[in-house]
Amino acid sequence: MDVISARDLPGLFHAWQTVFSEQREFLIALDGKVGDSDLGITMNKAFAAASEAVSKEEEGATIAKILRTAGVIMAKTAPSTMGTLTATGFIRASKALERASVLGTKEVAKFWRAFAVGVADRGKAQVGDKTLLDVLDPIAASLEIAAASGEDLVNALSAATLVAAHALENTKSMVAQHGKAAAFQDKTRGLQDAGATVGFLILQTMRDFVASKTPM
Amino acid sequence: MKKFLNDPEDFVDEMLDGIYRAHPQLTYVAEDRRCMVTAKPRTGKVGLATGGGSGHLPLFLGYVGEGMLDGAAVGGVFQSPSAEQMYEVTKHIDQGAGVVYIYGNYTGDIINFDMAAELADLDGIKVTQVVGNDDIASSIVGEEHKRRGVAGIFFVFKAAGAAAAEGLSLDEVTRIADKARLRTRTIGVALSSCVVPEIGHATFSIGPDEMEIGMGIHGEPGISRKKLAPADSVIDEMMERVFAEQSFSDRDEVAVLVNGLGGTPKEELYILFRRVSQLLGVRGVQAKHVWIGEFATAMEMAGASISILHLDEELDRLIGAPANTPFFSHYKA
Repeated sequence: MDVISARDLPGLFHAWQTVFSEQREFLIALDGKVGDSDLGITMNKAFAAASEAVSKEEEGATIAKILRTAGVIMAKTAPSTMGTLTATGFIRASKALERASVLGTKEVAKFWRAFAVGVADRGKAQVGDKTLLDVLDPIAASLEIAAASGEDLVNALSAATLVAAHALENTKSMVAQHGKAAAFQDKTRGLQDAGATVGFLILQTMRDFVASKTPM
Repeated sequence: MKKFLNDPEDFVDEMLDGIYRAHPQLTYVAEDRRCMVTAKPRTGKVGLATGGGSGHLPLFLGYVGEGMLDGAAVGGVFQSPSAEQMYEVTKHIDQGAGVVYIYGNYTGDIINFDMAAELADLDGIKVTQVVGNDDIASSIVGEEHKRRGVAGIFFVFKAAGAAAAEGLSLDEVTRIADKARLRTRTIGVALSSCVVPEIGHATFSIGPDEMEIGMGIHGEPGISRKKLAPADSVIDEMMERVFAEQSFSDRDEVAVLVNGLGGTPKEELYILFRRVSQLLGVRGVQAKHVWIGEFATAMEMAGASISILHLDEELDRLIGAPANTPFFSHYKA
C-alpha cells in the first residue's frame, strides 16, 4: 500500500477501534496510577463511535470529510480531556488535508503535525510536560523528514513508530504538569504517560494497517 | 443538609424546568434544557454566549435576555457543560455576525468552550472568547492568567451585551468585553460553606467565629482564614488589595457590585457597601453605577464579594445602558 485512500479509512478506523478495545483495561490501569482511570473507557468509546460513524459515510466522501466526521463524533461521545484532545487532533488533521485525495508520506506528515498542533493548542501544553504531545511532536518531525527525503509510506511510518516508542519511553523521566496527574508531580516520575501511550498506539496501528496491506 | 429537593439528581433539570415555566422569554434548543437561548433573537446582532456550572444563580443563565446575553450552556452543580451543548447554543444564536463566548477561567470550561469554537469554525461561524479572571485572591499580580472568574464577569456581560445591542461588530464587542475584563477586580470573603446537593454535606468546614478572605465560589481555598472582624475592618482589608491593583486618580469613576454569595442578607451587603463607598470617597473616586444583591452565588454560602470596574467613557455608557433579563433589569436613569 503506497497510499491510504479515502476508501481505506473505514478499515483504518476499524483497526483503531479494535486496538483501543483490546487495550482498554491496560489503559485504565495505567491511568489509574495517577489519574482517574477513565482513559481506557474514553478511548474505547471515542474510537468505537468514530469507526461506526465513518463506516456510514457516503460513497465518495473525501479524506477531510471522513476525518472531520470522526473528530466531531469523538467530541460528542467522549467529552473528557483525552477525548476532546483526540477529537481536536482529527478535526485539525481534517482541516490540514482539505484538498488531499490520498494519504502518502507527505500527507501523513501533515496529518500528524496538525494533530500535534491541535493537541498543543487545546491542552495548552508544551513539549516536555509529560503529555500526549511528547510523542506527537517527535512523530510529526520524523514523518516530515521522511517526506522531505521521499520515503515510501510504510518505511516512513515504521521509522516514526520507532521514534514514538523511544519518545514514549522518555516520558518516564518527565514530571506531569497538567491534569489530575499534575497533583502527583514527583510520583509520576518513572511512569510512562498514559496520554502519550494513546498517541503511540494510534500511530502504531496506522503503521500496522499500512504494513498489512503492503506486499513484502 | 436542609434543602428543598426531590431527587438530588434532578436538582439542575427541575431548576431549569422551573426557570422555563417562569420566564417564557427563555427557551432551549437541541431538545436539551441545558442549551438555553433567548426566545427573542435579534437579527444581525453579534451573539453572546456563556456557560458554566449550576449553583451560582443568577450566574450564568440569569443574564440571558435583552441588552445582555443570547444563550447559556448549563452544567451540573459546579460542573462544566459539555462542548456539544455549547456548540448547540452557538449554532442557534449565530445571526451571521459571529459569537463571543464569555465565561470564567476554569479548566473544564476552557477546554469545552475551545472545542465548541472548533466545531463552530467547521460550520463557518466566527467565535471569539473572553475568559473572566477577576478574582484577585486566586493568584498574584503577574500571574493573572491563573485567576478564577467570579462575580465581576457580570460587568463583562453588561458591557459586551450593550455593545452588541448597539449593533457593533464582533471585533468591537470582543474588544469591549476584554476591556471590561481587564478593568475589573473582585475579592470575596466567606463565612460558611456551600453544600452540593448530590454530595449532601458541607464542601469545607469553617469555625462559627471564622471568616476566609479570598475563598472561591466553589469553596476553593482563599488567602487568609481568621477570626471574623467587624464589617468595616473586613472591607478595609479586602479593599486594600483592590486598591493595590487599580490606580485611581481623583474624580475617576467606577461601577461597584456588592454581591451576596447566597446566605447573606441584603442588609449586611448594604453595611459592606457603606464602607466601600467611604473608602472610594477618601480617594475622590465616584461610584457611578452601584448594584447590591445576589449576582453570582455559591449555593447557600454566607459571604460576599466586592467587584470594582474602573470606568472610562465608553464603559460608562455601556454599563449604564438598559437591560432586561429574568434576573437583572436596568432602565436608563
